[in-house]
Amino acid sequence: MPVFDPVPYAIPAFVALILAEMLWARARAPQAYEPRDTLASLMLGLGSTAAGLLTGGAIFAAATWPYQFRLFELGWQWWVWALAFVLDDFGYYWGHRLGHRVRWFWAAHVNHHSSQHYNLSTALRQTWTGTLALSFLFRIPLALLGFHPAMLATCAGFNLIYQFWIHTEAIGRLPRWFEAVMNTPSHHRVHHATNPVYLDRNYAGVFIVWDRLFGSFQRELANERIHYGVVKQLGSFNVLWAAFHEWIGMFGDVWQAPWRHKFGYIWHAPGWSHDGGRETTDMIRERWREREAMTADRNAECRETSHG
Amino acid sequence: MNTLALQLFGQLGGSLVAVLLLAAIAWKLGLGGDIRIRSEDQARQLAGEAIWGFDAVAVGLDRAGIAALLRDGQGRVMLLRRHGAHFAARLIESHSGVRLDRNFLTITAAEPSFGAVTLDLGANAQVWAGSLRRPDP
Repeated sequence: MPVFDPVPYAIPAFVALILAEMLWARARAPQAYEPRDTLASLMLGLGSTAAGLLTGGAIFAAATWPYQFRLFELGWQWWVWALAFVLDDFGYYWGHRLGHRVRWFWAAHVNHHSSQHYNLSTALRQTWTGTLALSFLFRIPLALLGFHPAMLATCAGFNLIYQFWIHTEAIGRLPRWFEAVMNTPSHHRVHHATNPVYLDRNYAGVFIVWDRLFGSFQRELANERIHYGVVKQLGSFNVLWAAFHEWIGMFGDVWQAPWRHKFGYIWHAPGWSHDGGRETTDMIRERWREREAMTADRNAECRETSHG
Repeated sequence: MNTLALQLFGQLGGSLVAVLLLAAIAWKLGLGGDIRIRSEDQARQLAGEAIWGFDAVAVGLDRAGIAALLRDGQGRVMLLRRHGAHFAARLIESHSGVRLDRNFLTITAAEPSFGAVTLDLGANAQVWAGSLRRPDP
């Protein structure tokens, strides 16, 4: 069974939609795009495509090997395709969640988040090093269940295509039923935000139900203006730096750390340090919670004083 | 070279042309704009967004509004500079990259990719240069 990759067929639509969003930005929000940022994002996308061409065979082989030992003969019926798409998205959710919570995987994923813009070009700001980081392993177990690797590759392609259109500020909230089940621009804006209340939330690919089920959901708040990017903004449009900076930083930390802490810089959350000199997203959120609680207490005291 | 390889190179070449074209269109449409820091309050707000909870007690604002230096109550000094249509920041942890030339203070961040920024701080340049050479405010 040859692999059908739908992504190349979607590229003309990606280009047309980016162009349409630029025209929207010109009329409504000129700062939604920045030419150098757009160039960097699209070059990262192009590099990712090239990396995919080089490593796609290895990933397919990695999925084909467990398929020999499959537990079930699932075949190619329509319902197997539907089930494969849903379960592949479930695998994506966990891979993506670990992509934010383990520095090794974050080093590969960070470049998708390193733009301070949130537009359709950001969607194409994809990893060059995902295969190196073995991020694809989270989607492989389905082959062991009996889903054909070619089917999984096609599902992964459609998953990626779905995630393109949600990278926009041009669309507000969609109907409630849709927001309840599907990942949407509103949910994914939260995922790309650096505001403490939004950090490490909404990991979903296609179905937001995974976040609702596993406690990582946060709805977009009307009174919280979103700031996009990473907690330590990159401050550079250099494509190579965007693709490799976290790997360089991580291995630099491993090199400098005392022996017993070296691996901590690989498997702990981004921002972890053995001497506590840096902050993880959990620590930032905790500081934010404390400050929110103090503000609420102060406001309550003021109200009591004014009423008393 | 076989047909498949030619097809792949053609696909990548076509994508590269599309990438360059889209970036050129973004530039031609004037997207991004020319953003500046208009006031000390805005600089404080941007600093608090760049490093959450950074409460600036002193601000040195570049006259053109492209950068600012800010100090918080803990004595940390932040360099905030324009980055495209947004701002990016770094804490200044060493005075080795600080150079004063009359009203101009040039600061080179420890991270080479962040680059050097020259701020026109007027008479305040000397005060900031002096304070950056002291370990504490």
